[in-house]
Amino acid sequence: MSPVDRSKLRLFAVVAFISSLVVLAGIAIVQASPADIAAIKSRQDKLRDMGSNLKSVEDEIKKRNPAWDVIEPSADAVQSRASFLLTWFPKGTGPEAGGWTGVNGPSRTYALPLIWQKQDDFTKLGKAIQAETVKLNQLAKAKDLAGLRTQYEVVGKACKSCHDTYRSPDYEKDNPD
Amino acid sequence: MTSPDGKPAARAHGVRLGHVWDAPTRVMHWLLAIFIALCWWTGMHDELDYHLYSGYAVLWVVLMRLYWGVIGSSTARFVNFVRGPRAIMSYASKLHKRSSPHVHGHNPLGAISVLLLLGFVIAVVALGLFAVDVDGLDSGPLSGFVSFNTGRHLAHLHYQVWNYLLALICLHVLAVLFYYFYKRQDLVFPMITGKHRGEAMVDVELHVAPVWRLAAGAVIVSVIVWLITTGFNF
Repeated sequence: MSPVDRSKLRLFAVVAFISSLVVLAGIAIVQASPADIAAIKSRQDKLRDMGSNLKSVEDEIKKRNPAWDVIEPSADAVQSRASFLLTWFPKGTGPEAGGWTGVNGPSRTYALPLIWQKQDDFTKLGKAIQAETVKLNQLAKAKDLAGLRTQYEVVGKACKSCHDTYRSPDYEKDNPD
Repeated sequence: MTSPDGKPAARAHGVRLGHVWDAPTRVMHWLLAIFIALCWWTGMHDELDYHLYSGYAVLWVVLMRLYWGVIGSSTARFVNFVRGPRAIMSYASKLHKRSSPHVHGHNPLGAISVLLLLGFVIAVVALGLFAVDVDGLDSGPLSGFVSFNTGRHLAHLHYQVWNYLLALICLHVLAVLFYYFYKRQDLVFPMITGKHRGEAMVDVELHVAPVWRLAAGAVIVSVIVWLITTGFNF
């Protein structure tokens, strides 16, 4: 092999190596990292936990003699979950993260890209939920049944106001829960 | 039906000639159609407060129909129209003929349709009673008996089984159109007036159940539906 051929071969090898690095890096950027999927799953678990605790409050306040030892820790859990709510939506955890296979088949996030396009409005709604769950917790601690029944509806409506705008309507059609 | 001297025979009490459906059965049929349409509309337009009320109305009518299917008028009773596989196959094999004999009341194939429709209505309502609303505002009255995750799963099933019911309702309407245009049998007219249309079958009898039975059923069913709506929280 002549020296010219060798240098050509070396040049080819270098170009091939660099271009393959570029392609791999590109794939890595385009593809969602497993961390984003994990963040979505964690968010869904926490939202379900919030819903579950809120339901525990609801089930008790429907009764004539509610169990306050059930209501108090549940209302407290709702408030503490809500206080972290706005940290659960980092960039990259929208539909672009892709899906995975869940218990009921293919699963994905139903968070709409609008969340990251209208950050101010989303944050405003998130803060409203936080404020309302603080009130819920206070009423639970004060064992104010009438106040709790009213505030419960306010919290539910705060959840709904966000879901109506920032969650995909496909959520009702699929079976993600 | 005439007596030997040519005069119309004395009608036995509760027997009506030329009739096929009694008033309660007809009213229940159309109420069910109206209330299911209301459920559909309110469900699709996120009017869940009214969705729950229209769901209770469907529950009331469907329970009344089950009650009437046991001790109601002759053509409403399940024992009088639910037939075995042989009768169904025999009827189905003549279905393509344009001039098959008219059946008084539900035909053997229609009986399957009645059972499927009632069964799916009950399934959708039952799932809705236990369904959990994700925002906790409009959960079913019996949602307190299931966990959040189970109730959410039931809410999605409520939606999915409803789609099967909707397909069955479409099939039901298509069958009525098939009878009207292909077999020249108007099934809608009797369901409105209670009477057979045309010359045929004027001598068939409908044994109408007494009104007190309907009233007793209405009281029993109303109490059951009211108990369910309270979620048994007293």
